[in-house]
Amino acid sequence: MNAVPSTADRTGETTDALRRTLVRKQGWARRAPLLPALVFTVLVTQLPFVITIWYSLNRWDFLKPGSFSFTGLSNYTKPFADPFFREAALHTVVIVVGTVLIGTVLGTTLATLLDRKFLGQGVVRTLLITPFLIMPVAASLVWRHAFLDATYGFVNWLLSLVGAEPVAFTTRHPLASVVAVLVWQWTPFMMLIILAGLQGQSGEVLEAARVDGASALQTFRSITLPHLRPYMELGALLGSIYLIQTFDTVDQLAGGSPGARNIPYFIYQRSIGGGWKFGQASAYGVVVVIATIVIANLALRLISSLLEDQ
Amino acid sequence: MKPRSLDRPHRSRTRTSAVLGAFAALSLLASACGSDAAEPADTTPVTEAVAETTPAETTPAETTPAPAETTPAETTPPAAAADGGSITVAIVDNPTMKDIQTLTPDNFTKTTGIKVNYVSLNEQTLREQVTKSVGSGAAQYDVVMIGPYEAPQFGANGWLQDLLPAATADTAYDLADLIPAVKGALSNNGKMYAVPFYAESSFLMYRKDLADAAGVTIPEAPTWDEVAAAAKKLKTADMAGICLRGKPGWGDLGASLGTVVNTYGGTWWEANADGSIGKAQVNTGGFKDAFNFYAQLLKDAGEPDAANASFNECLKLMQDSKAAMWYDATVAAGILESADSPIKGKLAYALAPTKETKASGWLWSWALAMPAGTKNTDAAWKFMSWATSKDYIKLAATLPGGWAGIPPGSRTSTYAIPEYLAAAPAFAPLTLKAMLAAPIDNPGTTKRPGLPGVQYVGVPEFQDVGTRCTQELSAAIAGTQSNDEALNKCQDIAAEASS
Amino acid sequence: MTTRSTPIKRRVNGLLLSALAWALGLLFFFPVLWMVLTSFKTEVSAQTEVPNLRLDGGLDRYRDITKNVPGTLTFLKAFTTSSIVVVLSTLIVLVLAVPAAYALAIRPIPKWRDVLLFFISTKFLPIAAAILPMYTISKRLGVLDTKVLIVVVYTSMNLPLAVWMLRSFFAEVPRELLEAAQIDGAGLLARIRTVLIPIVAPGLSATALLCFIFAWNEFFMVVNLTAFNSQTIPIWVTTMISTRGQFLAKLSAASTLACLPVVIAGWVAQKRLVRGLTMGAVK
Repeated sequence: MNAVPSTADRTGETTDALRRTLVRKQGWARRAPLLPALVFTVLVTQLPFVITIWYSLNRWDFLKPGSFSFTGLSNYTKPFADPFFREAALHTVVIVVGTVLIGTVLGTTLATLLDRKFLGQGVVRTLLITPFLIMPVAASLVWRHAFLDATYGFVNWLLSLVGAEPVAFTTRHPLASVVAVLVWQWTPFMMLIILAGLQGQSGEVLEAARVDGASALQTFRSITLPHLRPYMELGALLGSIYLIQTFDTVDQLAGGSPGARNIPYFIYQRSIGGGWKFGQASAYGVVVVIATIVIANLALRLISSLLEDQ
Repeated sequence: MKPRSLDRPHRSRTRTSAVLGAFAALSLLASACGSDAAEPADTTPVTEAVAETTPAETTPAETTPAPAETTPAETTPPAAAADGGSITVAIVDNPTMKDIQTLTPDNFTKTTGIKVNYVSLNEQTLREQVTKSVGSGAAQYDVVMIGPYEAPQFGANGWLQDLLPAATADTAYDLADLIPAVKGALSNNGKMYAVPFYAESSFLMYRKDLADAAGVTIPEAPTWDEVAAAAKKLKTADMAGICLRGKPGWGDLGASLGTVVNTYGGTWWEANADGSIGKAQVNTGGFKDAFNFYAQLLKDAGEPDAANASFNECLKLMQDSKAAMWYDATVAAGILESADSPIKGKLAYALAPTKETKASGWLWSWALAMPAGTKNTDAAWKFMSWATSKDYIKLAATLPGGWAGIPPGSRTSTYAIPEYLAAAPAFAPLTLKAMLAAPIDNPGTTKRPGLPGVQYVGVPEFQDVGTRCTQELSAAIAGTQSNDEALNKCQDIAAEASS
Repeated sequence: MTTRSTPIKRRVNGLLLSALAWALGLLFFFPVLWMVLTSFKTEVSAQTEVPNLRLDGGLDRYRDITKNVPGTLTFLKAFTTSSIVVVLSTLIVLVLAVPAAYALAIRPIPKWRDVLLFFISTKFLPIAAAILPMYTISKRLGVLDTKVLIVVVYTSMNLPLAVWMLRSFFAEVPRELLEAAQIDGAGLLARIRTVLIPIVAPGLSATALLCFIFAWNEFFMVVNLTAFNSQTIPIWVTTMISTRGQFLAKLSAASTLACLPVVIAGWVAQKRLVRGLTMGAVK
């Protein structure tokens, strides 16, 4: 089952064959360290995936014993015609892209502010990274009840100070609320990565620019920003991988509101979240995996610097 | 089936194909693992078979270190009584269940020697875990807490044990004392699948002082039109006229709205002749009228951000004197009248408001059931009978919450306890009345598909349809879509279940 | 903006920027601070229309939530389980990821990109869809509700991230050092231990910290795959949520306790995190 190099060519002189054997041996030695992790991952993640594919080819209503029956591809007709699924896909995109974009802009701002000596620099950095360390379930609930609540929420108290009407954030603007809380949690992560990028910047180049009479803004735009680009890409990539799976915030903060329902929540509802239609839910899952792989590939091509050869 | 892609010469190509190739190759790797990959093919039928056949055959029982054998040593200190084994119980997380967790070690375990491990989960999670575990015969729990929606359905699926024989044999248990409507709701085909820990109906709670001041009188059995008129009169700038559930969920908005739909002559579905789900009836007739009424009442006189409000939110508004009336579960009265409540003694109660039917209150119970896979049936029944006994109710009264905090609604005899009636004079008799009046067998004006139910429909499809629909309807209450849009989407969702 | 600002102007500017940094820092931290303050209130004071600073609950909420009732999921039990599971899984992740990253970075095997993308792609299947097969398999193997299962699951959850990050760090290591060690006759493990690890230590600890955070906070899988024996801290936190009665103060206290290990670890390791997160990830 492992990566065995294809059998050597049938022709060739002895020396050639010998060399090939050597190369093959070496190839093995090079691959060997990879195998434990690879085999583990394949076993633990691909086995469930293969079973998911199998389930998706069957009808299986868990609440109706005896309903398990092979139905071929019929579960796959549903995802493409389901307006609720399309809506969930759209929300997923808004959540991921919105959070990543806002998080990157805010993260860059914060990192820039932190990248200079000032009184309490370390303390401010400590304060800023904390939201990333908070348990998502707890964060959602505290935001919902203590901050965004229409009657008892802190934000609405602030609004009332300036005479504004209270806003029912999580129900009137569920998607924006979800993105806001996610931005709060993920901006620190972006900031950390970008801060590392800023600190890796060569001081000489910046000094030279200053001597040449470039303004701070010019320097930032033409030197710092290009330097930061790969860092931003890394942050965006890592962030997206987690944000795509956002569940707690949609469930706990927005209560699964149709205005914020994303793909993980959608699939959860089709399966153990009440639908109990495991065959159908698995088909949605498989479609999502394939779509995500395609999109991820396109995205990675755009930010290819992360995958360059050394 | 060698994964060729790994040794193909390295050449320039698009990443897409490469990654898809890698993915395919690794999927092949997975399937090349032989027996493992072939497993799914026979895994599922077995799972199913387990669900259908008797639990005795379940494999995990032999291989899993059963909780019964492993937990006590590491989790509980040695008990005084002889070791009676241990059981794992899944329960819903609320104050009455916190009480039983506190009382168990010193009372139940001390006398029986049976250790009880509680898995306490919120309502939604509990439902997921219990359904998954009980339905797949995983035997993770010896006792599970479910409601009248689940009990008869799970029972019919063969997932639960019939408790009638044990309860009948146990004379001290006094089966006849259980409130008939509750017992009926937990039974199916002459078998009783769960015993009630507590039970509730719904009724109207209102501020007598405010109503008097505003010159509003509310009869003991009001109509929704009367209630709506009163709510509008009682509404002030910082006081909602009425608090109603608007939070999504079939057990939240679905429960309150469900009773209104029933009494408006509406229904989720028509029933086919054989009792199966017929045509969806959501965007027409009584359902539509009821929802429009409900949403309008919330707009005119309801609480702020109603789409976010359920039991807890309304409770809070009542306690803070920010709502004058509240239509919700009867157990709420016990909290509003408790010693530390700021509005204690200021309340009056009325039966669930009606429109076209005689009664409309819901019927719910948190009840204990025994999964088919339970092996320690003796210990499990000992626990269940203790937790739902008359003695337990008396025991619960010894806690700081006093008599007002006992698990209500399960036994007729509770309502004959002088101390309880003295502690809860305003609401105890009316609670019993509401429980007895709950129209479990005939909730609306038309025949319902599936098993009996008031605020829910006794078919497996309902929890999905109910939850997704109430999410749409809740969004309409919030104002992000129109009532008609929500009702039409809900109609589509409900129609998927029709046959 | 002029090219040469006067020293005073620059000073003022600097002070303004510092003030802005402080303001934003406090703004981001405020919700956490508020959560901690709420944990010292009574439930009545926890939710009021006009925010208040009445810490009238004292330590009562903490006493409530750490009460040791036998047969229930106590804080101590959940904390112990979480610690064991999270530490073990993080260690295993590193043990598996270090050699894998070596094979992908130091002397990259052909198709290393595809392998890397495969690792990442395992995170694309929505967990809600994967949980059922995981449950079925676990039940068959008889490992439901065991710590072993949770360790395995968390290892697979964090491994892709770890491989990805470590590969980037390793790519930074000068080859000459490794080659020199090889010529000296050091085996693979020796090379990893004596040459590689010391160089990439900050990156390694950043990776470990991220794995720790994600595993510590994970809720969905653990709630689905456990019953009583292996419940972790996030489950314990959610037992504070009640549908019948106010819970914000109690939830805040529980969240504060639950987040403490991760927050402290994050605070202590933040400098390493900054250096480690991107060390060599990009050039």
